[in-house]
Amino acid sequence: MNFKLFTLTSILLTASLSGCLDGKSSDNQNIECTTLSAGHDDDGKLRILTYDVLALNDSMIESFETATGIEIEFIKESDAGGILDQMMLTKEAQQADLMIGLDNSYLQTAIENCLLRETLFTQSPQYQNISSSSLEAYQGKLAIPFDQGTVCLNYDENFVDGENITIPTSLWNLTEPQWNGKTSFPSPLSSSPGRAFMLATIDYFESDADEQTDAFDWWEKMSENDATFTSGWSESYETHYTGGYGEYTVGHIGDSHLTVSYCHSPGVEAYYSSNYTHSTSLELPKTSFHQVEYTGIINGAANVAGAEQFIEYLLSNDVNSMMPENNLMYSVLVNSSLPETDGFRHHADIATTTAEIPLVRIEMEMEQWLANWKEATQ
Amino acid sequence: MLTSKDRTLISNSIQWTVIIAFALTIILPLLYAIMRLEAVTGMSSLDSVISFFTLTETKEALRFTLLESLFSVILTLIIGLPLAWQLGRYEWKHISIIRSLISIPFVMPAIVAAMGFLALIDQGGPLDKIGIDLRTESGIIGNISSVTGIENTGHFIALVIAHAWFNISLVVRMVEPTLSTMDPRWEEQIRLLPAGNSRLGRVKNLWLPFIGPAIACASALCFVFSFTSFALVKWLTPTKSTLESLMADSGGTAGIYNYRIDTSEIVLAVCLVQLIILVTALAITSRLQRKHSLRHAIVSESSARKSRGKASFFGKAVLIGGLIFTLLPLILVAISSFVVRTVKNGTISSDFTLDAWKNAWQGDNSTLSIPEALSNSLIYALITLIFSIIIGWIIASSINRLENSGNMKLAKIVDMISLAPLAISAVMIGLGILLGILRWNPAMFNWFLIPVIPHVLLTTPFVVRVMLPAIRSLDISFEEQAKMLGLSPTKVWIHSRLSFLLGPLAVSSSLTIAFSLGEFGATWILVRSGSWDTLSILVDQLMGQPKFNPLVYPMAMASATVLMALTFVLFLLAEKVRPDGEGSGF
Repeated sequence: MNFKLFTLTSILLTASLSGCLDGKSSDNQNIECTTLSAGHDDDGKLRILTYDVLALNDSMIESFETATGIEIEFIKESDAGGILDQMMLTKEAQQADLMIGLDNSYLQTAIENCLLRETLFTQSPQYQNISSSSLEAYQGKLAIPFDQGTVCLNYDENFVDGENITIPTSLWNLTEPQWNGKTSFPSPLSSSPGRAFMLATIDYFESDADEQTDAFDWWEKMSENDATFTSGWSESYETHYTGGYGEYTVGHIGDSHLTVSYCHSPGVEAYYSSNYTHSTSLELPKTSFHQVEYTGIINGAANVAGAEQFIEYLLSNDVNSMMPENNLMYSVLVNSSLPETDGFRHHADIATTTAEIPLVRIEMEMEQWLANWKEATQ
Repeated sequence: MLTSKDRTLISNSIQWTVIIAFALTIILPLLYAIMRLEAVTGMSSLDSVISFFTLTETKEALRFTLLESLFSVILTLIIGLPLAWQLGRYEWKHISIIRSLISIPFVMPAIVAAMGFLALIDQGGPLDKIGIDLRTESGIIGNISSVTGIENTGHFIALVIAHAWFNISLVVRMVEPTLSTMDPRWEEQIRLLPAGNSRLGRVKNLWLPFIGPAIACASALCFVFSFTSFALVKWLTPTKSTLESLMADSGGTAGIYNYRIDTSEIVLAVCLVQLIILVTALAITSRLQRKHSLRHAIVSESSARKSRGKASFFGKAVLIGGLIFTLLPLILVAISSFVVRTVKNGTISSDFTLDAWKNAWQGDNSTLSIPEALSNSLIYALITLIFSIIIGWIIASSINRLENSGNMKLAKIVDMISLAPLAISAVMIGLGILLGILRWNPAMFNWFLIPVIPHVLLTTPFVVRVMLPAIRSLDISFEEQAKMLGLSPTKVWIHSRLSFLLGPLAVSSSLTIAFSLGEFGATWILVRSGSWDTLSILVDQLMGQPKFNPLVYPMAMASATVLMALTFVLFLLAEKVRPDGEGSGF
C-alpha cells in the first residue's frame, strides 16, 4: 500500500468511528444517511435494478423464486452508470429494492448520495468466504462484492508479432506511427470498463518518472494518433477490435488491434472457441484496474427481507462459484478459480500490478477527470 | 328519451373532453420536462437554444441528422417513384399482395430493420459479395471515402439505404393512388397540346401538378421519420448521433439536480431545436396533405389500369427488384437465427441449428424468454389499439364536424394537436412522463398501463390521418336515409358510418399495432423504471450483450424473427379485413 492510500485509509477509518449516530446508518466515511421509508408499495415482489448481468438468467431467477416464493421483477439499465443514474433520478421514491452491478468506480457516488442502506449479510458466515482482494476497495455494510475482474488492454497477437510490431513497453508506444488508427477505447463517459481504464492511466502517469506529463496528455496524443473512441465496450471490442470474437460477427469493422477489455477476456475467447484465441492482454504494470462489482440494498427499498435473501443467494457457493461460466467474470469467493475447460484459465492473464486509486478520490475527482478526458479527446 | 339536440351536445362534449385530455397528455409532460430541465440547468429555454449552437456535439448531431434525412428522402424517392409508377399505371396480378409486401418495411419494428441491414451489409453478406463493402469501407466505398474525405461513408450509406427501405411504402402508398385513379384521357389530351408535346412539357404541365403534392407530402413524412430515427442510427452508425439518439443517450441522467448537468443541458437544447424543425416539417405536411386529398379519385382504378394494359419487361424488373429489396433484409434476419458459429483450430464454420431458438424460448442469457416478451408486446399492442382507434376516430370526427360547420381555424388547431406527438420526440415524451410521475405520484410506476401512454400518443396521429379523409368523404345522405327509415341511433351510426369506415379502420388498426410492436424510443426510456420488457427491448438487450457465446447473436435474431412474424401476420390480417376496392392509400 503506498503512502497516499495509507493516509486516506486512516482518514476514512477514523471518520467512520465518529459517523455512527442513533437511527442513522453510516459507513466508511462521516456521511450521515437517514434510512428512508419505502419508495414504493411492498407487494411481495423483489425489484432488482441492474444492467445486463449475464448471470441473472431466467433459470437462475426461477430457482430463487421456487426456493423462496419471492417473485422477481427487473428494472434494466444499459450499464453500471445507468444504475447509478436511475438511483439518483428516483432518489425521493426508489422503485427498486436491490441494485446489482455498480462497480468500484461508481460505488462511492452512490454511498455519498445515501442511495444504499446497510445489509445484514456482513454478519453471515458466507461473508467470511469472500476473498480479501474483493473486499480491498470497500469493506462496509452498504455494498457486497459479487464478481470481479481486472480491466486491461487486450491486443491482437496476429498484429503484434514481435517482429514488425513489438509488444508495447510503455503506453507512450501507442502514440507512435505504427499504432496510428489502430487502437480503440470505450469512452469513460459512458462505459464502465472505459472508466476503469481511464483511472488506470491516471495512476500510471502519476507513478511514472516523468512529472511533466499526465494521463490527459497521453489521451490527447492518442486522439491525435487517430485512436477510435466508442460509447461502449461492445463497439470497441466487437466492432473495431481484430483479436476478439467480433471478427465472426455481423457489423465487424476490424480496424483496431488493441482495445480495452478484461485481462481474462482471452480466456473467455478460448472457452467459446475450442481453446483457440489470438487475443492476449498487455502485461504492463499499472495499466490495469481491478474492477469489483457490487450488490446492495437500495435506500428506499420496500422488500428489504427479499433483498437480503437474494444477496445470500447471489453469494452462495452454488451461484457465485459459477460466475466465470455464467457471467464471464471471476467469483469473489475464496479458493474459487476459472475453469480449465477449453483453455479458459490458461489464456486468462493475471495482471501483476494494478492501478491503485481509492474510492474517495475517485468520487472527488471523477467529474474533473471526465471533463479533462473529454477535452483531451475532442 | 334523448332528443337529437341532447345527443349532439353529449357527442360534442365527449369530443372536446377527448381532445383536451389528448392535448394535455402531450403538453403537460413536455412542459414539465422543459421546466424541470430549465431548473436543473439554470438556463432559460432561449439560452438553451442559443447554447445548442455553441456545443460541438449538438451542432455535429444536427448536421448529421439534416444530412442523413435529406439523402434518405432523395433515395426513397429514387426507389419509390418508379415502383409507384409501375404499380399505379399498369395491370398486375395479385396487386393487393404486392402492395402488402411493399408496405411491410414501414410497419416493421425499427429494431428488426436494423438487424436485417446489419446482416445485409455484413462482411460476407450479400452486398459485400457484389463488391459493396459498407462496413470496413474497402473497395468502391473506400474510394468514395478517400475522394470525398467524409468519414464513415459506408455506414452513412447503409443508414440512408435503411431509411429508404423503411419509407418506400410511404411514397408508393401516397403516389400510387393518385396515379392509378388518373383519367388516361388527360394524358392523351395533353399530348395534343403544345404544353405537352415534349416529355419535359408533360412532366412540367401534367405530372408535377398532378402527383407533385403527393410526392411532397410523402417526402415531408420521410423527412420526419428519418429525422427522428433512433434504432437504425444506434445500430448502423454507432459512431454518429442524430438529435434523437443524442437525446436518448443523455436522457438517462437528464433532469437530476446537481448531477451530470451537462446532459440536462444537451437534452433541453436538442429537444427545443428538434421541436422547431419538426413542427415546421409537419405544418408543411399537413398543408400538402390537404392539397393532395383534393386531387383524388378522378376515374375508377381498374378502368384506368385496363386502358394501359400490362407492364413492360422493364416495369416487371423494377417491381421484382423492389420486392427483393423489401424482403431481403427480413429473410436475412430469419436465416441468421439458425446460424451458429463454431471455431475449431482457428477456423470458423457455421452450423444450422435450432439451439438459439431453444435458448431464446427458455430465456437463457436474458431475464425473460420469448413467450414472456411476446405476451407483453401483444398486450401493449392491443391496449394501444383500443385507445388509439377510439381517440383517433373521435378527433378525426370532430375535425370534420368543425370543418363542416365552417370553423376552419379551430379545425386546423385540432388537426395540429393531433399531429403534435410526431413533432415531439418519443424520448422527450417518455422523459416527461417519467419525471412527472416521479414528482407527483411515484406509486403510478407499477401501473401496467404506463408504457401504453407513449404508444397511444405516438400512434393516434396515424389513426387521425387515415380516418380523416374517409370521414370527410362520408355521404351525409346515407345518414338521412337511415334516419328516415326509422332506424335506432345505433343502427343509423352502424349503417351510415361504421360500415363505410371499415377499410380505414382496418388500415389504422394495422398501423397502430405495428407501430406499437416496434416502438422503441419511448419504451426504451420508460422501461428503465419498470419491468415491461417487450420483444423489441429483448432484441436490443440481447444485441447489447457481449457475444463471446456464439448463441447470443442468433438468439437476438430469433427474437427479432418472432417480432417480425407477429407484425407480418397482424398486418396481413388487417389488410384482409380491408374491403376490396378500397384502393391502396394509407
